[in-house]
Amino acid sequence: MKEIKILNFDMLEKLLEGIEKPGRYINTEIGVRSKNPRVEENGGFDSKILMALVFPDIYEVGMSNLGIQILYDIVNKHENFTAERVFSPWIDFEKKLREEKIKIFSLENRIFLDCFDIVGFTVQHELLYTNILNMLDLGGINIYSKQRDERSPIICAGGPAAVNPQPISKFMDFFVIGDGEEIIIHILQVLKVYKESRKEKGWFLKEISRLDGVYVPEFYKFYYYPDGRVKKIEPEKKIKKAVIKNLDEFKIVSNPVIPNIKTIHDRFIVEIMRGCSRGCRFCQAGFIYRPVRKRNVESLVRQSVEGLKNTGYDEISFLSLSSSDYGEIEQLIRDTISLYHSSQTGRLSISLPSLRLDSFNLKLMELIQTGRKTGLTFAPEAGSQRMRDIINKNIKESEMIETIKMAFNEGWEKIKLYFMIGLPFESEDDVREITELIERIIAAAREKLPRKKLSRLKINVSINAFCPKPFTPFQWISQDHPENLQMKFNYILKNVPKRYVDIKWVDPYKSMIECALSRGNEFVCDVIEYAWRGGAKFDNWSDFFNFNIWEESFKRAGLDAGFFTTAGFSEDEILPWDVIDIGVNKKFLLKEYDKSKKCAAGYKYNTAGYNKI
Amino acid sequence: MQPGINIIQQVIIRFKFYKKEEFKYLSHLDIVRILCRALNRAGFNVAYSSGYNPKPKIRFSAPTPLGIESFAEYGEVTLNDNIDGNEFKERINKELNNKMQVVEAKKLSGKTDSFMNEIAVNLYTFALDVASSTKPLLEKFYGSIWEGLIEKSDFMGSIYRYEMLPSKESSNIVFLKIYGYAKIFKEKNNDFFKFNNFYLFLKECLKEYRICIGNVKKEESFALDGNRIKVLQI
Repeated sequence: MKEIKILNFDMLEKLLEGIEKPGRYINTEIGVRSKNPRVEENGGFDSKILMALVFPDIYEVGMSNLGIQILYDIVNKHENFTAERVFSPWIDFEKKLREEKIKIFSLENRIFLDCFDIVGFTVQHELLYTNILNMLDLGGINIYSKQRDERSPIICAGGPAAVNPQPISKFMDFFVIGDGEEIIIHILQVLKVYKESRKEKGWFLKEISRLDGVYVPEFYKFYYYPDGRVKKIEPEKKIKKAVIKNLDEFKIVSNPVIPNIKTIHDRFIVEIMRGCSRGCRFCQAGFIYRPVRKRNVESLVRQSVEGLKNTGYDEISFLSLSSSDYGEIEQLIRDTISLYHSSQTGRLSISLPSLRLDSFNLKLMELIQTGRKTGLTFAPEAGSQRMRDIINKNIKESEMIETIKMAFNEGWEKIKLYFMIGLPFESEDDVREITELIERIIAAAREKLPRKKLSRLKINVSINAFCPKPFTPFQWISQDHPENLQMKFNYILKNVPKRYVDIKWVDPYKSMIECALSRGNEFVCDVIEYAWRGGAKFDNWSDFFNFNIWEESFKRAGLDAGFFTTAGFSEDEILPWDVIDIGVNKKFLLKEYDKSKKCAAGYKYNTAGYNKI
Repeated sequence: MQPGINIIQQVIIRFKFYKKEEFKYLSHLDIVRILCRALNRAGFNVAYSSGYNPKPKIRFSAPTPLGIESFAEYGEVTLNDNIDGNEFKERINKELNNKMQVVEAKKLSGKTDSFMNEIAVNLYTFALDVASSTKPLLEKFYGSIWEGLIEKSDFMGSIYRYEMLPSKESSNIVFLKIYGYAKIFKEKNNDFFKFNNFYLFLKECLKEYRICIGNVKKEESFALDGNRIKVLQI
């Protein structure tokens, strides 16, 4: 039996000296329910399967993620299993750990990462890949699956940035594709047999590979053409995504771990619906989380209020990809407020992170607003109707302007707008229309706002570079070149009225790397390793992202990043992620892609150089 | 009572609590958030301020620096329930981790001024690890710190009564008790008595004598009573 090593408190104290926000690394939150190894009932830890739930970002980000809380709840409810959380140390703490030669450890019982039976990473986006390697390394675990023996924990990954497993396939023993709620227990049960009967790792992987949603890279072989495109995948049988049919069979986590320190989303989070029926063609989440499943409104109300009471939060967030499409959204809000106030006098604030704003929903916003009216968020994504048709973003400008006017009338003062550039078939006109739309919103403000309020009007505009992702109708598309994107952005920056507009922009080279990683094949594993060895981590943080490291790493791996980004894929080739059946078939995606082409053709088409505008 | 009119009786609960072990790594604002959520969980009806952004009526004594255990934290909360100190203490403690507990709570009768401002001086205990030092060195340090303190202050000596107590468990550790971080040193040299400055000074001081600071505790808060200080009573 493997010895379970634990970092003691004295040592932790020494490590934490001079460390920024030490509250990230302590273990005293309310709601913690991993099993205590010091309690000897059921034979202590020897008879338990120990799982590390790893979120490869810092505590404040990871603790805002509902997925971790859901899995934590499910695993710890089971008598034979125990789960502990591990987050990425911040730079200063990593330095200290490396200096002192101490491995990273879980929060709850401070168990060193390499003492767990299984380590599961939840991967929210591609720019966390380097953090995964960093954490494995900090845990004293070999990053390559093939070089890990039976004494090493089983390493797996899941989450939206693992739907194309190829770019991190060499590091993982297996992947979980789809909903984790049911499958996690099946996997742990097999793991228990594997551990107790001392079978081989291969036996364990073979057993779990029978489950829907489990992808074991070593059981698949990819053949390539000389130019790097996939020729054949063996076997041909695809991995079917794990899907739970009925969300209501799984109660919401009404007693989550409540963070001690302030997190990004420091509130009670309830998932009201999974999946989205909107079909925006750029949106990966809209396709990979299908089908749409909603929770029953009555039980949601009951469980939400129960959760608020359990946690003491006075803020709740109703999470989904599009809350306005939850049929009984108004009832949900009204009933939750009234049930809450039947026993509580304090104020409850509600947030709807994905509410599509129109005149009807503006009334909802009024209903949930407590205190000062702050900001409203609109996501037209594109400036022109043509482009909104291409991407299937079903929002009309006239409707939006009406809603904004109404909002100004009702006393709202701040508007936030989300746009993307570099969208498929984009012309100069589409980009120009972004600035025109912003101008029309300012005109609406001039019309509706009294002078005093107008003078402090701020429209926050966030511009993102479009990044084509697997399993969307744009998965084949060539990504716009970073230099082009920068030119388009410069044009917008030059042409929006700066007096009222604050504009934010993401480094287009970061989008390029994100795209290359998300559409990558197994050779991209090497790139990620080189980048990490070269110092890349926390790539999503602008302060840390270093394009030169990535450029070098692609070169060193003998690859061209452009192959995965600007080159695009052809519609009849086998894609690296074709090994996965995400539930939406390729024919459907192609049909959607064709529709967008037709939308593009219906308008004047101009892709001349942007320096001319 | 007339129909339609609710007479809400508000009470102010004054309480003293500690934060120790892991909880010393939480900032003042974290502690405030933790306490507010615990009040909600315990089912207390916390009174809110009126205005655009209503805030719970709750206040705390001045922040204890991050990383310092404290046994002298104070708070005052206004509740819309008529409960007494004991009930408050019992209910809130069930909702708090055992590393942060209320030790005393009292219902205030009538209008009372907040007593947070009365805190004049805090008593800190420094556990000094003298393992690598020798006794004569320690005595030298003793003398030197005394001079340093007197030099840097113009207030009466009684405040600087400090004690060095050998620990019972381990002969390597002695405890240094020092009063400091006080608003009474208003004039010059006040900065010196800001805790962090003092901590740095002490650390530097100790380096010469090869003594390390182990655990630091805020033990008690005192109010000014004429020319003397007295333990703050809630």
